[in-house]
Amino acid sequence: MLKLTEHTLKEIQAHGSASYPHEGCGLLLGRAEYGENVAVAIFPVPNRWENEEEKSYRFLIHDQDMLQVELAAAAQDLDVIGIFHSHPDHPPDASLRDLAWAAWSGYSYLITEVRQGQPGRSRSWQLLIDRSGFKEETVEIGDFANSAS
Amino acid sequence: MPSFRIPTPLRPYSGGNSQVEVTGETVGSALDDLTTQYPELRQHLYDGQQLRSFVNIYLNQEDIRYVDGVNTAVETNDTLMIIPSIAGG
Repeated sequence: MLKLTEHTLKEIQAHGSASYPHEGCGLLLGRAEYGENVAVAIFPVPNRWENEEEKSYRFLIHDQDMLQVELAAAAQDLDVIGIFHSHPDHPPDASLRDLAWAAWSGYSYLITEVRQGQPGRSRSWQLLIDRSGFKEETVEIGDFANSAS
Repeated sequence: MPSFRIPTPLRPYSGGNSQVEVTGETVGSALDDLTTQYPELRQHLYDGQQLRSFVNIYLNQEDIRYVDGVNTAVETNDTLMIIPSIAGG
């Protein structure tokens, strides 16, 4: 399960809209607690995919940006617990590309569709341990900020 | 002793620890010690004998690929970080 604050979800939606028609991306910060990921903040990062024309359907989070996010999270006594990215004019389903280039199971992979610049549904996914696919996880919206301190 | 900072999704395989002290004079030997202490980590870091393509090792915030790779020397108070690159679409 991924738990998100309302504010965090709105930030993710706004970032997806602002990134349109490109895929926007970033990291979810919070805590991994009792098998659940609780996100209380986001850290957007540039989409570093090298081919500009492909950014509407590809994203890359460079490890150098990831390093900075890890350091920033640690400074706030938070952990990096997931990745968010947007799907411009496509449903928020984990794709074969998302699978091929995923990192580790345990992160929440939150995908938000953005239709004509307007944010739509978000769905979150967990990479299976054997890396054979994704399993959808429940997203719960609420006031979880205090549980991550 | 040098230490590894463990990314959140790998902590179930490092005994729940976010920081693990290791022995070793190089990054390669430090990784070997890490996976000896916590064998379950190995499958998440390695594909066969090679680090998985998305796994990057930073020594004191410097990418070891631009130093001497796994032969990069490690000192007593060094901090090693395991940093993924992530892509999709």
